[in-house]
Amino acid sequence: MKSLVKKIALSNLGIKLRNFFNFKPIYMNTNHLYNNCSVSDSFCWRTDNNYETIFKYSDILGLFYKIKKSYVELSFFSKNNQLLKTLVIDELDYSNELIINKKFLNGTEDYGVFYIHHYTDIEIKDPTIISNRCYIGFSKNGCLHSYMHGNSLVRVKDLKGKKEGLSDIVKTSFFNNNVYRIQNFFDDLTSTELFFSNPTYKDIIFYIESDKYTLKKGECLIINTNKKNIINIKSNCFFLRPIIFNYKDQFIDVYHG
Amino acid sequence: MNFFFGIKTNTFSSKLNIPKFQNRNITNNNINLYQTFVDNNHWKLELVNKIPDINEFFFVNQNLANNTNIFFLATKNEIINFCKNKLINLNNFTDTDPAFRSNLQIFLKNGGFSSYQSEYPYDMINKQGDILSSVSTLLNKNADNNYLFFKNIYFEPQNKKFKAFFLDIKSRKILDEFELKTNYTNEIKIHKELIKPEVFFLTKNYLGIPMFVSEKKKHLSFEHTHPPHEYILSNDKFMKVSELKREINEIIG
Repeated sequence: MKSLVKKIALSNLGIKLRNFFNFKPIYMNTNHLYNNCSVSDSFCWRTDNNYETIFKYSDILGLFYKIKKSYVELSFFSKNNQLLKTLVIDELDYSNELIINKKFLNGTEDYGVFYIHHYTDIEIKDPTIISNRCYIGFSKNGCLHSYMHGNSLVRVKDLKGKKEGLSDIVKTSFFNNNVYRIQNFFDDLTSTELFFSNPTYKDIIFYIESDKYTLKKGECLIINTNKKNIINIKSNCFFLRPIIFNYKDQFIDVYHG
Repeated sequence: MNFFFGIKTNTFSSKLNIPKFQNRNITNNNINLYQTFVDNNHWKLELVNKIPDINEFFFVNQNLANNTNIFFLATKNEIINFCKNKLINLNNFTDTDPAFRSNLQIFLKNGGFSSYQSEYPYDMINKQGDILSSVSTLLNKNADNNYLFFKNIYFEPQNKKFKAFFLDIKSRKILDEFELKTNYTNEIKIHKELIKPEVFFLTKNYLGIPMFVSEKKKHLSFEHTHPPHEYILSNDKFMKVSELKREINEIIG
């Protein structure tokens, strides 16, 4: 009986009901992922305002599964979810890096998101689900890159690179009543920017105090939040954590919220 | 239950902003901030916020945020159970999803600053094991200086020594070997030659959090690495990480 209740509670319908009524909600669900797939965060890239981004990623299939012939695909999107560039890299070291600047994005000075997926042509028998958490560094005006790690699970592709899965990992609710309060006190700073990307396939509505914002599928947004010491985010998304860019004089500090 | 900690060296100072609220907005105004540290084979306990305040954060300044003190939240009723012979789990206020974190910021005098949302989960303090981390993913060859800080918190009130290594996993060689201690924020300066994709940092028998700092022209970058099992979501995650650690452990014999 107990296991039946557990089974129902973890079914898609059960999760929908739990999240609808906000009763023991499931913020992220990976149960539906198919056996062999690669899951990516929606990583932030910036080339606006003299920013340069460095992306550091590991050869997960090589390191953990000893697969020598693996490769990665990186897809770069504008802030409005327009595909800008796709890049396949087939020579991988254990740790790799890519510089994303204006030149790399054909003169684009803006911000957006990108995804990384690992592929191999080799048959993998055992169920294998990998996620490259990666590290991203942001440099402004040529200063030292400030690094942070990935913090969500957003888009899924199979390890053959042929099938894109429903990226329904981060869950949404019917009501805009999910509060996420950033656990830092913002003072003694010149300014603060919050980078939000939509981790779901649905429209997201969120509020910072009384200001309302909307993100459609794949979109992202930078919000300046000067003069707020405490930041509360209210939304219909169960896991909406921004990347924080803090500025003080000529120094920057980037971390996930 | 989570612990929080600082860093103090000749070069860097640190400060902590520890919230009294959970990230889903539940505040506990009855909670206090305590610090504890190893003192003659006991955990010495001190109340940090001696005067009640109405702020939503406890602010730990550079005078308190050092390499030995660790901080935690507890009510007056909960702290009665504090044990000076071993760290015990006092409450679940900081057991949240996403994780309950403080902001740990390091800074230079008259220079830059860098921070990350930091915590040391209670689950890590009772276990022994090896930590494996890539060296090149968060460091910068072009920086003026690069550092690795390794924070260990272990339940026994002692500063036990344990070994750590820099290993080249391609040539399968030990590049450097040194001693760290438990219940301490250990500082290791990294030479540029070690910042290569094939170089990994490995600790023996004690867990902890590897944090990496780069410094260039007074600018700083500060971030921790993920444990290897976070790269795998399938059920084979612990098996694959164990296999990798076993393979790497063969290098040190």
